[in-house]
Amino acid sequence: MTDARLSEPAPTEAAAAPAAAAPSPGDGISLRGLTKQFRIGRETITALDHVDLDAPSGAFVALLGPSGCGKSTILRILADLEQPTSGEALVHGQPPEMTRKNHDLGIAFQDSALLPWRTVQNNIKLPLEVSGVSKSGQDIADLIKLVGLENFTNARPSQLSGGMRQRVAIARALVVDPKILLLDEPFGALDEMTRQRLNLELQRIWTERATTTLLVTHSVAEAVFLADTVAVMTPRPGRIQEVVPIDLPRPRTPEMMRSPEFHALGDKLSDLLFTGGIPNSGDDK
Amino acid sequence: MTAVATAPDSDRDEPRIKRELPGWLPGLLGTVAIVIAWQLIAVLWGGEKHVVASPTEILQTYQKDGWGLYWPNIWQTVKEAAQGWFWGNLLAIVLAIVFVQVPVIERGLLRLAVASYCLPIIAIAPVLVILYRGDTSKIILAALSVFFTTLISMLVGLRAADPASLDLVHAYGGGSWMQMRKVRLQASMPSLFVGLRIAAPAALLGAIVGEYLGADRGLGVVMIASQSAINVPRTWGIALVATAVAGAAYGLTALVERLVAPWAVKDRQ
Repeated sequence: MTDARLSEPAPTEAAAAPAAAAPSPGDGISLRGLTKQFRIGRETITALDHVDLDAPSGAFVALLGPSGCGKSTILRILADLEQPTSGEALVHGQPPEMTRKNHDLGIAFQDSALLPWRTVQNNIKLPLEVSGVSKSGQDIADLIKLVGLENFTNARPSQLSGGMRQRVAIARALVVDPKILLLDEPFGALDEMTRQRLNLELQRIWTERATTTLLVTHSVAEAVFLADTVAVMTPRPGRIQEVVPIDLPRPRTPEMMRSPEFHALGDKLSDLLFTGGIPNSGDDK
Repeated sequence: MTAVATAPDSDRDEPRIKRELPGWLPGLLGTVAIVIAWQLIAVLWGGEKHVVASPTEILQTYQKDGWGLYWPNIWQTVKEAAQGWFWGNLLAIVLAIVFVQVPVIERGLLRLAVASYCLPIIAIAPVLVILYRGDTSKIILAALSVFFTTLISMLVGLRAADPASLDLVHAYGGGSWMQMRKVRLQASMPSLFVGLRIAAPAALLGAIVGEYLGADRGLGVVMIASQSAINVPRTWGIALVATAVAGAAYGLTALVERLVAPWAVKDRQ
C-alpha cells in the first residue's frame, strides 16, 4: 500500500523552483533577532528573545521545547498570524506577509480545525476557495488518497476519529502546493500509536514533495524521527539553545527508533531540554 | 471491589427499561394528565366563580363558534407577526454582522439596542398605534419583540467561531469578510436558531399586544371582545389558539434548523 503510493509521480514543480537556486543555509527559513513581547495588563512578557535560525530550502526543521517556550509563536509569525516586536523573519527570502498573500504556505494545528458543516473533500478545498487557486477534482482525489482517506471523501468531521481528522488537516495544508509547510503539533492530541503511524506517513508525504517544513513539537522522538535539524528551545524568555543536526539516513523506519544512534540523539536532546530549563548563562543578549 | 464490579450491571439494566418506552409517550402522558387536572379544577372550583373554563367547555365553544370566527383573526395576527419577525430578525442579523466586522459601530449602537430591549413594549405600543395606521404599528411591535434576542444570539454565534479555523482562512490569504463567509456565518447557525426559536412566539406576542391597543381584527381583538362580553370559554379558547400558533411557529423553526444546519443538530445530540 505504502510503496504503491510512494511510486506515484509527485507534483513538485512548485517546490522545485526555489530549490533550483543556489542553496544557502538560510534560503528556506531565516529568523534574525526575532523578538516578541506580549502585554498582559501592565506587565510585558517576552515570549521570544532574539531568536536566530536558518534552514535551507526543502529542509525539515523541528522546533522542540516545553510548552510556553514560544515555539508556536515562531510558527505564528511565519504564518503572518502574529507580528514580531522586533527582528525579522523570512521565508524563501520573503516576509511572511508576502508568502501568505501568494498562497505559498500550508498550515496545520494541534486542533484539526475542520469545519463541521463540510465534508472531508470540501474541508480540503477550503484553502482553494479562500486563495482562489484552482485544482482539478483529480488532484483533490489524489490528495485524499495520499492521506489514506479515499473511503471517507464525503464523510463529515463528526464521523471521523481524531487521527483521521488530522490526516484531513494535513491534506488541507498540502492542497495549495505550499512552498512552506507549518505544522503546530499536528499530532499532539493523538494517542502514541496513531501518532507514530501518522509520523511515518508525514515522512512519506514530505519525501514526495520536499517542501520546506517547520514542525513545532514537544516530543523528542517525533523531532528525531522526522527532522533534518532540531532547534531546542528554552522557555521564558523563549530562546534557541542549540541547533542539533539529525544525520540519520532516510527514509527513516520504525526499527531505526530502536537503534543506538537514535537513542543517542534522543538523549542529547533530552539533556538540552532539561538543563535548558534552568537559566545557566548570565548573558542577557 | 465487588461493589465496583456489580455497578456496571445495574447501569446496563437502566437503559434497557428506557428503551422500551417510545420517546413521545412521556410527553403524551404529561399532556393527558394536565388536561384531566384542568378539567377537574374547572369543574370543582372554576365553574362557580366562572373564571376557569374546562377543556370540554372550550371544545364545545369551538364547535359552536365555528372556523369562521377563528380563521380570519388567526390569519391577521400571523400576518403581522410574520412580517415583524422577518424585519426584526433581518435587521438584527445584518447589524450583528456589521458589529463583528466593524467593532467601533458596536460600541456606539449596542447600547441603543439594549435600550430597545429594556423599554417595555406596552409603553411604546400606544405611541406606535397613534403614529402608524393599520398593521404597521403591530408589525413594528412584533419586530421589536424579536430584534434584541436575535441580535445577541447572532453576535454570540458569530463570535463562537473556532479561532483556529479563522486563523486558517487568514493564513491562506483571506480577510475578515472571507472569514465571515467561510467560517463565522455557518458557525453562528446553532446560536442564531436558539434566538429564532424564541423569536417566533415573541413576534406573536408583540402583534397581539399591538392589537390590544386598537385594531379591527386579530386574536388580540377577539380576546378583548370575548373578555368584555364575559364569554369565559371563548377567552380561554382564543388563548389556547394563540398558544398553539406560537408552538407551531417554534416547532417550524426547529424543523428549519434541521434542514439548514443538520450538522449542528447532530453535534448537539
